[in-house]
Parts: sequence; C-alpha cells; structure tokens
Amino acid sequence: MSTRPVILHIVDDTTPGGVMRVLEHLVTCPLVAQSAEHTFQSVRRDRPLPGVRADIIVSHLSISWRSLPKLISFRARHATTPLVHVEHSYTEAFTALNVPSRARFYTLLRTAYALFDRVVAVSEAQGEWLRNRALVRAQALRVIASCVNLDRFRSLPRSNAAPTRFGAIGRLDRQKGFDLLIDAFRAVPNPSLRLDIFGDGPELPALKSQAAGDPRIHFRGHSASPEAAIASVDAVLMPSRWEAFGLVALEARSAGRPMVLTKVDGLADQATDGVTTLKGHVASAWSDAIAALSKQAPQGDIAASTANAEAVFAEGWSSLISELHGEVEKQAA
Amino acid sequence: MPKASIVVPAFNCASTLPETLVSLRQQSFRDFEIVVIDDGSTDETPQIAQEHAQCDPRIRVVRQPNRGLAGARNSGIAEAKGEIIGFCDADDLWHPNKLANHVDHFDQSPHVGLSYSGSELIDEASQPTGHAQRPRLTGVTAAHVFKRNPIGNGSAPVFRRAALQSLAWRPRHERQRDWVFDETFRQSEDIECWLRFALTTDWVIEGIPGLLTGYRLNGGGLSANVDRQLETWERVVTKLRPLDPAFFAKHEDTARAYQLRYLARRAVRSSDASTAVTMVRKSMRSSTKPLLEEPLKTLTTWAAAHALARFGDAPLRRAQSLLRPMKTTQN
Repeated sequence: MSTRPVILHIVDDTTPGGVMRVLEHLVTCPLVAQSAEHTFQSVRRDRPLPGVRADIIVSHLSISWRSLPKLISFRARHATTPLVHVEHSYTEAFTALNVPSRARFYTLLRTAYALFDRVVAVSEAQGEWLRNRALVRAQALRVIASCVNLDRFRSLPRSNAAPTRFGAIGRLDRQKGFDLLIDAFRAVPNPSLRLDIFGDGPELPALKSQAAGDPRIHFRGHSASPEAAIASVDAVLMPSRWEAFGLVALEARSAGRPMVLTKVDGLADQATDGVTTLKGHVASAWSDAIAALSKQAPQGDIAASTANAEAVFAEGWSSLISELHGEVEKQAA
Repeated sequence: MPKASIVVPAFNCASTLPETLVSLRQQSFRDFEIVVIDDGSTDETPQIAQEHAQCDPRIRVVRQPNRGLAGARNSGIAEAKGEIIGFCDADDLWHPNKLANHVDHFDQSPHVGLSYSGSELIDEASQPTGHAQRPRLTGVTAAHVFKRNPIGNGSAPVFRRAALQSLAWRPRHERQRDWVFDETFRQSEDIECWLRFALTTDWVIEGIPGLLTGYRLNGGGLSANVDRQLETWERVVTKLRPLDPAFFAKHEDTARAYQLRYLARRAVRSSDASTAVTMVRKSMRSSTKPLLEEPLKTLTTWAAAHALARFGDAPLRRAQSLLRPMKTTQN
C-alpha cells in the first residue's frame, strides 16, 4: 500500500456545503482510496498559499483576480508536481447573471486554468461550457461528476403515494431561486400541500415576508443532516439560477424522491426518470409542475440512475491520477 | 451547407419585399441562404417571394398560417441551415457589406454570440430621414440592453446558431418546433428576446461600426399605440423579473424612464402633444437617471413635448427640418 500516490486537496472555503461534503467523501471513500491516499488541507484566503508536498495537488480554490498571483507563485514553487483544479463555482448561468464584463472574466479563467495540468469540471454541462468557450485546453479537461456516499439516502423509506410534502434545500441566497418557488407554490391552491424550506442565509427575511399568510410554507432552518431533511419530504424542488453540479439533486434522486429542477448548468445533466426540468424562471410553469407532481404517485425506480454514482466518481479520480502519475514517471525515467 | 442564413419574416409586404430581397441578394459575402417566411399574407407577398426564389436558388419560401412576427422568426430559425443566422424584416434593408462584416466579427471573436450594428432610418420612399441609431458597441451588459437597447431593431442583430439555440424552449402546447422569440408577445418581442439572451446566456453581445441596416419608419398614427406599447413593455419586465429580481430592482425604474422618454419622442414625432407631455412627466417621475446620463437628449425631449403643447407642431417641424442633417437618434 505504500506505493499509493499521495493526493493533497487544498480548499479555501470550508463553510459547510457541497464542496466540503464532496471533499469529505474523497478522503473517506474506500473505493477512491484504492488508487491513492487522499488528504486535504484548508488554506486561508487572506494569506499566500503554503508550500506543500504531495505526488499530486488538487485545488478546490476559488479563482479570482486577487487569487491569481498566489496561484502563479504556487505553480512556480511546485513546478514538477502535477496540479489539478476542480471548478466548483463557475458556469454559464453564473456568468450570465453575475459577470458584466465577460471577456475580462474569460481572460482570468483562461489564465488561471492554464496553470494547471488538468482542470476537472463537476458536470458534463459545465465541461461543455469550459470547452465551448475555449477556457480550458481540450486535452487538459476532464469531467468527474461530484458525489458523496449515497447509501444513507438510498436506505430512506419511500412513499408510494402522490407527494404532498415538498422540500427545498439550500442556502437562502438568490442563487437558489426560492423566491420564485414561494410565488409558484402560493399559486397552487391545494390546501393539503406543504412546502418546507431548509437553509439559512441573507434572503431569509425577504423570503419570510413573501411567504407570510400561507400557513403551508415552513422555514425549517439549516439542517446539518441532508438525509434528515430529504427524509421528511416526498418530493424536492430545485429552482436554482445557476448550479455547477447540484448535490442536493443527486441526493434526492438516490432517495427516490421525484423532483422539479431548472434546466440550467449541471442540473440539466440530472434530468433522469422522475425529474421534471423547466427552462427559464417562469412562476406559472413551476406552479403547473408542482400541481402535476402532487397528482401522481412516483413512477418507476427514480434512484436507479444513481446506482453507480460512487463507482463512476472513484473511477474518474483513479484514471486521472494514474494518467498524471504515469506522466511524472515517464519524465523521471 | 451555407455559412449564413438570413430569415425574412414577411406579412403583407408586397410593396417593400422586392427591395428588401434585392438588398440581401446583393450582399458582398455570398455564402448564404435567404429563408422567407410568408406569415399568412393575403396580398402578393408569396408570389413575389416565389419569383425571387426562381431566379436565385439561395432563396427558400416557407408559407405558414399567420403566427405574428415572433412566430415567423421562430419558423425561420427552425428552417435555417447556416451557422450564423441574421434577421431582416420585409420592409428593411441591409447594407451590401452587412453580412460580410458580421461574419468577420464572429470569426475574430469566438465569445460573441450576438453581433449588431447601427441603423440608418429610412422613410416610406426608402430615403434616409437624416436620423440614425448609433448605439454603444462594446462593453454591453444586460443593464445596457435593458435601459438603452443598443441592439436596436429586429433587422440589426446577427446571431451565432449555437447562441440562438441556448435560448430555445418548447412550450407545452407547441407541436411543431421550438420557440426562440416569445410568440405570446405581439409587440416588444425584440427587447424581450435580447434581454432574455443577456440574462440567461453568457454569450458576449457586441456591435460593429457602421450603419449597416436601413430601418424603415412607418408613418401615421403611432401614438395610438403608446399605451399598448407601454403595457407590453411592462409585461416583458414582469415576465423576466424572476430571472434575477436583484437586477430588476436595481435597473427597472431607470429603464422605465428611458422607455417613457422614447414613447414621448415618438408622440412628439406624430404631433400628439398631450401624450408627449404625459410620457415626459411619467419618465421624470420614474427616474431622473436619464437626465444625469443623457442630459441633452432628455432635456430636448422635455422641451419638445412642452413646445408642442404650447405652440403646436409648426415651429417644431421647421426646427426639425433645419436640424435634420446633424441630428441623430437612439431608439
């Protein structure tokens, strides 16, 4: 076992959320551990990046003009170590809604990505965007869909009845689109439906006042256990405005929960059986989809499409590692 | 497969279609097709289109029951084979180098998905009116599109096919083909599409120099439409607001003020004093930003509306004809 390469993951945002859960999975999953030993180190955004030792270094850092000099220096100090970057944030829809000066932004991304031997997209859609905008050289781009241990979601009890309890899970931020969801849900007259919103964030007061007067809508706060949140609802709604991957969608699907998603970025990849996707943010379309979902028992095995998710994830990492490790050994020989 | 397609939505335009088609057939860039969508015309439009198709194999004519401008453009997009797709309404004209310049622009700028140019305004006799749309060309953001619509009119933009495709969706009741323009709008379908493009895709919107479109002003009773125009503009805002409420909270009042100012100018042009004054007043009440951002134009609009109300349209006409050679307008 001592011959396994050591892979060091560095991360600068350790707030609980999708990125940290994927990282935790990387360092704990036995399937992933077969090909390499994964460890992780958190770094501070306001400090230079430290010098580290590993066979391969994987960045989960956020890229910005401010962090670019740090990345350049880091690359220079680790000139012979293969560097990989995993892009957890940027997507087409993110750019559309947040970046006024797109050409300048692409220059940043292209410059930053060029420092890495490989860039990993977390969904096919994001990978296609990186390729189409020529932000990453085609030979340096890999797609490894994010994953966590899904067993605890697969084992949740499922209901065979038409859904009445709907859940929305995520940070209460404009990214997640819960404002649209509340409007859409309010327009569905059925009094026996219920919407539980799990999460905390800057939009809470605005969302609460938007939901005021509708006793069917409940704010449940941040749930430290995503499986508990998903266990308490029959169906999950995800009206995100942008989403590099959308871990909640993967978890909800593996729990056999029917879903409605916006057809955007990485969520578009998750349009499997039992998942309704909607383009654009039109409240009436969401109302129609919620009403339709509430009239129909879940069909087929929604979780089936997630059966191999962990294996595919482990395989993606192991082939990336053996490819990079092989290149290093070839150069050494 | 042609490199470019030009979609010509045509509805009862027998008097202008020949000139439009000639201007397209004379493009200096030659590798293109013209898709004429006859949108249920009841005049000679289909025959005229057919005649042109017979002498130029690059022209195809598709007939459909009337679906409106957006519906005709959508059918044209579905038929188009080029990787670059432009639009030219059947009463407008393209400068002979328009397509060539846009093709160059796309070749040189891989991130640009929507390329447009300024327009020269022409009258019913196809003569330049002396007015032009000279929009901002670079650094265009969604806020610019919302407030000042630099893309201008429906015959100015040329799209990359991939960029148009990222806008496409299929409404539930639609059986034949996708929508890119929203067919539930019979006015403001342009700005709805351009703004949705800016807010939902990451393609760069950029203009090229020159007045490459001849945009025809229709004379007559425009001001009757002013209220309805304002209403559809509000419908666009209501439709798109959920895409990014924060964006609309920030820019909506200013955009509305510009829209009202534009309607005031149109009312002045058709000598409707009371509408002009009302629109100017509403515009100022919505936001004073236009006054800060474009003081001259905002003040002229204000002065023209009030002069019209006070003195009638004779002095204004005289002033207009005097100023004509040096005047420019933006939408």
